[in-house]
Amino acid sequence: AAAGLCPYRALLARRGGALRALCGSVRGLAAGPETHFGFQTVTEAERREKIYRVFESVAKKYDVMNDSMTLGIHRVWKDILVHKMNPSPGTLLLDVAGGTGDIAFRFINYVRSVREHQLQRKLRHHQNLSWQEIAESYQEDKSKSLGDSQVVICDINKEMLKVGKQKAQHLGYSEGLSWVLGNAEELPFDDDKFDVYTIAFGIRNVTRIDLALQEAYRVLKPGGRFLCLEFSQVSNSLLSRLYDLYSFQVIPVLGEVIAGDWKSYQYLVESIRRFPPQEEFKAMIEDAGFFKVDYQNLNSGIVAIHSGFKL
Amino acid sequence: VRCQLSPPHRALQASAVLRRVSDEQKEPLASSSQQQFDSHPTNHQPEQEPQGPRPSYTGQGGQESEDYESEEQLQHRILTAALEFVPEHGWTAEAIAEGAKTLGLSAAAAGMFHSDGSELILHFVSQCNTKLSELLEQEQKLVQLGEAEKKPTDQFLRDAVQARLRMLIPYIEKWPQALSILLLPHNIPSGLNLLTSMIDDIWHYAGDQSTDFNWYTRRAVLTGIYNTTELVMMQDSSPDFEDTWRFLENRVADAMNMGSTANQVQSTGEAVVQGLMGAAVTVSSAETSRAVR
Repeated sequence: AAAGLCPYRALLARRGGALRALCGSVRGLAAGPETHFGFQTVTEAERREKIYRVFESVAKKYDVMNDSMTLGIHRVWKDILVHKMNPSPGTLLLDVAGGTGDIAFRFINYVRSVREHQLQRKLRHHQNLSWQEIAESYQEDKSKSLGDSQVVICDINKEMLKVGKQKAQHLGYSEGLSWVLGNAEELPFDDDKFDVYTIAFGIRNVTRIDLALQEAYRVLKPGGRFLCLEFSQVSNSLLSRLYDLYSFQVIPVLGEVIAGDWKSYQYLVESIRRFPPQEEFKAMIEDAGFFKVDYQNLNSGIVAIHSGFKL
Repeated sequence: VRCQLSPPHRALQASAVLRRVSDEQKEPLASSSQQQFDSHPTNHQPEQEPQGPRPSYTGQGGQESEDYESEEQLQHRILTAALEFVPEHGWTAEAIAEGAKTLGLSAAAAGMFHSDGSELILHFVSQCNTKLSELLEQEQKLVQLGEAEKKPTDQFLRDAVQARLRMLIPYIEKWPQALSILLLPHNIPSGLNLLTSMIDDIWHYAGDQSTDFNWYTRRAVLTGIYNTTELVMMQDSSPDFEDTWRFLENRVADAMNMGSTANQVQSTGEAVVQGLMGAAVTVSSAETSRAVR
């Protein structure tokens, strides 16, 4: 169970914008300001509703579709994200929009292997211990194979969390994981709690990105790191044309064939185009209060990793 | 356009960690290490001029922000704190993470630095050079006040190099690792820069006022002496590094005995080649010993 997490936080303490978002999200009440859903124009309330339904319907085929759309490259992108994070044992990670757990599992693997290296090095330094002492130290260390590292997977969508939990069980991940239902615009956690906040391919589905960034800032400890992996703008014009062709002609078809859902994948492709480019997103992150904000393009900008620190 | 929009936003977000410079004044330890790469005056305007695309953060009246330390100063504080963990963890991101933790920051703050520990090493070298400068400055003052004798050049050089190398003693076990990291291509410019300015400093306080070719010769010779002595020190196991100091004495004596310019030029070349050979040998033996472990 996630330790030290506060129950649902009162909104009144937050700024007026959040209050507006709350009004907008209550179904049937004031519709809220206009925003986009893919290339359509909808109200904020409608957008949240539609996106929820998109992920509800794709949840079971989410991983399969990721593999077929990106030809498996999304695995490499996620590996690079965790390597960049370089977590040490004892890190508390919050993975937002982490639904099916890809980042969380990689985090656990990484921390486990770092821990093993640490233990090996410790043993090498203690080569003058007796056999008994060495055996005893194995006992102690076995109980802490993760070194107190923990990951909290937060997602707004119940279906995605369900799929994630099943996957965890299937792959044998038992300790160090917690699954929490929550909204990135309004996290159910207390201030200054987490070492790292990640959001992989989730932030473009958030209706009020600025709120999500502010929440990220709030729940991170001082010195904590914000990492975002997201589709971004391609700089190379030739590649950009091929990419557009592939996105609009191939992906929705794949969506229909594999998941039986053309519309959801049409939305996905359009939402990528609507997401702000690297520099603009970097500016938004800085506005939320992060320092040393930087980004790294992967595959010429098809995907970008943005990083910032709470200083 | 963006620059003008951001300042009011920044003012709303009081920084979580960057503290007022007035707080820093109470910590004498922190302030001495501030005169590093950028020689910023710590008191006023830590970062008024925007460096590159990053907007400098100005407060509501442009007044509050002047008192906050910049990110660079915070980074220096973290690196200084990390030094105490180097004997245990080496020049690595782990040492930096431990350092960040002692300042009350999350270990994730180590992500601000390169994962091979380069910045930590460069920070340390820079700190040592500053300490050496201060030491030499004080000695010079004593001489000027007539409270001490002016040392002959060879003794001056010997003492200066020894003082500088002694600063490595607490970290001597992990220093070969640091040297090999400094020889990585992306670190060579900064490393060389620090080395040459240190050598410059020593000659300056030694009273060198040459403006001819001798200027280059003297620096090359002293650089050779320093590098070779450093390498000898890595492999020295005598009590209090006596062998190293004797080696240093001999090298300085050799340098002093170089007579004509022709000799000097030849010895310069030799000194440089020796330095490079020694560096290559040490790096390869450090690498093999690391691989064996």
